[in-house]
Amino acid sequence: MKFLLQWLLDLLLRFLRSLDLPLLAGLLALMGAGLVTQYSAGSGTLRGVMMQGGFFTVGLGALWVVSRVPAHLLKQATPLIFALSLVPMVLVLFIGSGKYGNHWINLGFFNVQPSELCKLTLPMMLAWQLDRHPLPPRLPGLLVAVAIVALPVGLTFLQHDLGTAMLILAAGGFVLFLAGTSWWWWLAASGIGAVGYALAKFAPITWFSFLRPYQQDRILTFRNPENDAMGAGWNILQSQIAIGGGGVQGKGWGQGTQTHLNYLPEHSTDFAFSVLAEDFGWIGVMVVLGLYLFVIGRCLWIATDARDGYGRMLAGTIGLSLFAYVLVNGGMVSGLLPVVGVPMPLLSYGGTSAVAILLGFGVVMALRPHRQIYR
Amino acid sequence: MMRKARPLKEHAAEAALFRRRALIGFLCALLGLAVLAGWYFHLQVVQHDLYATRSENNRLRLVPVAPARGLILDRKGRILADNVSAWRLDAVPERAGDGAALLANLQGVVAMDLEQQARFLREYKASRPFKPVTLKLRLAEDEAARFAVNRWRFPGVELVPYLGRVYPYGALFAHVVGYVGRIDDKDLAAMGDAGGAYTHVGKTGLERFYEQELRGKPGYRRLETNVAGRTVRTLETLPAAPGTDLRLSIDADLQQAMTEAFGELEGSAVAVDPRTGEILAMVSLPTFDANLFVNGISHADFRALNDNPSRPQFNRVVLGGVAPGSTIKPLLALAGLDSGTRRAEDKILSTGMFYLPGQKRGYGDSHRGGHGWTDLRKSIYQSVNTYYYKLALDMGIDKVDAYMANYGFGRPTGVDLAGEIEGILPSPAWKAAHAPKQGKWYPGDTVITGIGQGFWKVTPLQLAQATGGLASGWLRAPHLVKDTRSNFDAPWRPVPLKPAHRMSASPAHLQAVTEGMVATVHGYGTATNIRAGLTYTIASKTGTAQVVSRRGNAALNPRSLPMHLRHRALFIAFAPAEAPTIAIAVAVEGGGYGASTAAPIARKVFDAWLLGRAPVPAKPEDALPLQRPDFSNVMGSGTALPPAKTPGAP
Repeated sequence: MKFLLQWLLDLLLRFLRSLDLPLLAGLLALMGAGLVTQYSAGSGTLRGVMMQGGFFTVGLGALWVVSRVPAHLLKQATPLIFALSLVPMVLVLFIGSGKYGNHWINLGFFNVQPSELCKLTLPMMLAWQLDRHPLPPRLPGLLVAVAIVALPVGLTFLQHDLGTAMLILAAGGFVLFLAGTSWWWWLAASGIGAVGYALAKFAPITWFSFLRPYQQDRILTFRNPENDAMGAGWNILQSQIAIGGGGVQGKGWGQGTQTHLNYLPEHSTDFAFSVLAEDFGWIGVMVVLGLYLFVIGRCLWIATDARDGYGRMLAGTIGLSLFAYVLVNGGMVSGLLPVVGVPMPLLSYGGTSAVAILLGFGVVMALRPHRQIYR
Repeated sequence: MMRKARPLKEHAAEAALFRRRALIGFLCALLGLAVLAGWYFHLQVVQHDLYATRSENNRLRLVPVAPARGLILDRKGRILADNVSAWRLDAVPERAGDGAALLANLQGVVAMDLEQQARFLREYKASRPFKPVTLKLRLAEDEAARFAVNRWRFPGVELVPYLGRVYPYGALFAHVVGYVGRIDDKDLAAMGDAGGAYTHVGKTGLERFYEQELRGKPGYRRLETNVAGRTVRTLETLPAAPGTDLRLSIDADLQQAMTEAFGELEGSAVAVDPRTGEILAMVSLPTFDANLFVNGISHADFRALNDNPSRPQFNRVVLGGVAPGSTIKPLLALAGLDSGTRRAEDKILSTGMFYLPGQKRGYGDSHRGGHGWTDLRKSIYQSVNTYYYKLALDMGIDKVDAYMANYGFGRPTGVDLAGEIEGILPSPAWKAAHAPKQGKWYPGDTVITGIGQGFWKVTPLQLAQATGGLASGWLRAPHLVKDTRSNFDAPWRPVPLKPAHRMSASPAHLQAVTEGMVATVHGYGTATNIRAGLTYTIASKTGTAQVVSRRGNAALNPRSLPMHLRHRALFIAFAPAEAPTIAIAVAVEGGGYGASTAAPIARKVFDAWLLGRAPVPAKPEDALPLQRPDFSNVMGSGTALPPAKTPGAP
């Protein structure tokens, strides 16, 4: 009897050995928050929660599988993975569907968004390439890196998915930053960013004639949501009302009136964080932001312990990417940033996003040193 | 040349570099999330009140609940103005979109004629975006059902239950009860915030006069509405307080009898209870169906009413001023007695013509050759003009005015109907103010004032009030509402009566005048035509009036008036003469002599009230002997002619 228990415990430990338990705990907590939010967003119906739970299960399975892959194999396979991930990116341009552009490939039972995968495969490729040379990288290496970044970013831009393109670009930037590129580059990049923000905020709209009308609308709305409270600004305004109305403690789980009376649009996907903010208030927001910070910190912690530059840059980038997602979505739903249609990681409803993110953390765990996989 | 060696990686340095960068990255993330947290703090804590308010405004709608309008009942509790539940269709502009497109879509679902459509579009354009505009009132059952099925096609359009007003008697009480009509901007402005609860407001008659009481107090429902404006649930209901019910002193049967008594004739009549001032019946003919106005009268109907020269909407009882003619004589006679100018037995010689000293123009009697020696009683029942020419002159116009004012002339009776006119009590002051072109007050003005002609203008209601005064000895303000109750279960509370004042200090004087009035019917008087079959005594006075125009400039050119507006046959009466319970004033348009057209109407009303039956064409042999010793002395007195089958005559 005792032997049997010991055997079972041993089996469980073998099973969990490849996982980083603190990181897993953080992710599980966030997924719990996600399911709680989805329950509220679904107005008490369980369908969305079940579906999202299914996605999480698939994602956790993928995470477990990837976490068991030896780091050196992952590194070796990186160029192939990157190349494979670009195939659907091209394909989606021809057979894709979506509201404003060709984002999704319809697989019959659900839609896959190929650009989500690039958020992971680009930093892998970039880290692989940069790690072949001493760090910090020199100019030729940088030029190659820029070319590698440009490929998926450009393809995403062609899909008219500005938000994801920016996030992929950000992931590339994180890799370069962690690779130790000169501060001068970052100074220049910040300058460009500041100019871009200023342009979006203050430049005449005719300067943006290269953008699609809906994208121009978003810029205008970003400048002043009240300007068009019944049209383009409606989403932001209602989201702000939902967040602000939540107050410190929130209205209670499932009690958010903005959500349940449908004033808040897209409340299970893009605006899921507003649902959380309305139901659980600033306290809920702080708890979830704290969880995100913990996950980010844990990723960076794992990264510093990784065995080589590839592992360090990749794990660090995955952590910092999470920060980027949170900042962009959290800023967008609260009117701090323009609406770009980026989901809140693990909170927003969506299979591709959930699986892709969990896959990323699987990679982080695979890059963890001192694992004893072959015992 | 040596092949350039691939530079070696310095692992420790790279690891150290990464640690620095990772730390900076983490600090950046910390900073970024802190900014985010700060921004959420700003929204959720600093500006919480602002957003909480907007959130509440989003979801909550305060919908006023219309109270049930007070009922109007007759003295026996029959409903004259009722509420019926009905459906109406309201559209909220900001959600229903373009009005014309909406009407186009509604075709085939709800029938609306062009007039209704035009009205809706006009109101829709003028309305504030969130304020519902009524598309159609009183939807037919099938329309409501059809709309309910198609409702999804019409966001922002809602089927709203409400209480509609119905007048079961239609035209019978149109001038008494009046009607409610669609509320307009002026009404809304007067009502303030509560106006949103109401669709209708009293426009005329009692509905208007008692609007405040009938209206009730609106309640409120706090509704939670979703983004489409549909109600999700009712959070709170503050019930509406129903309006006050009114019970009238009018008896529907008597009203019916009075209306039927007119037959084809046009005119007005009002009967009061002289003991209280209660109005028992009040008719102005022709009349109209009050229900036409409730849901918005059609142009065709409205034009038909407006173009009718008889003006069906004109309430002759309180608005139709006429010269009282001979009906003023009993009152002047009382004034003569009370002022000490005459004693009842004083006799005046009527020669058929009366001349003022030094004037060639004479004032005639109704009999060529005159009535001979005339005492007070005879002056009444034979309507002797000369008696009153002299009496008015002997009293002097100031004294005449003082007494007539005491009898309620020249001022509104204070009846509970809006817009009552005050009439004209002729006086030097009035003439100086209103007819200065006709010079100063001449003695001739006093002379014709004595027979109720000249500047005189009285309403049938004023006449009825004064007649009631003669009957009871007290002048009592007529009123329509007898008692009220605040709701269905509450007890009826009588409306306090206005203070009455004495007509005369002397019962003997009243008696003398009454004797003259009794002889008008029962003696050799001017209204013996209604005597047949009487089982009770009637005290009355006939009269003929030239209409004082009520049409402004038209007064200057009487020939522009239609014939039926030129003369009135007047009749005042009360019965039973010994203990009067009803007094009446009748004015029949279309000329003629008071006794021939107006008196039979009064007789029928009296029969209905006193005998509880409609008048039957009585034959002389049916007549019962009058057993009222009080008046035996006047029966057939003062004349050599035998009274024609006078009941109780020797």
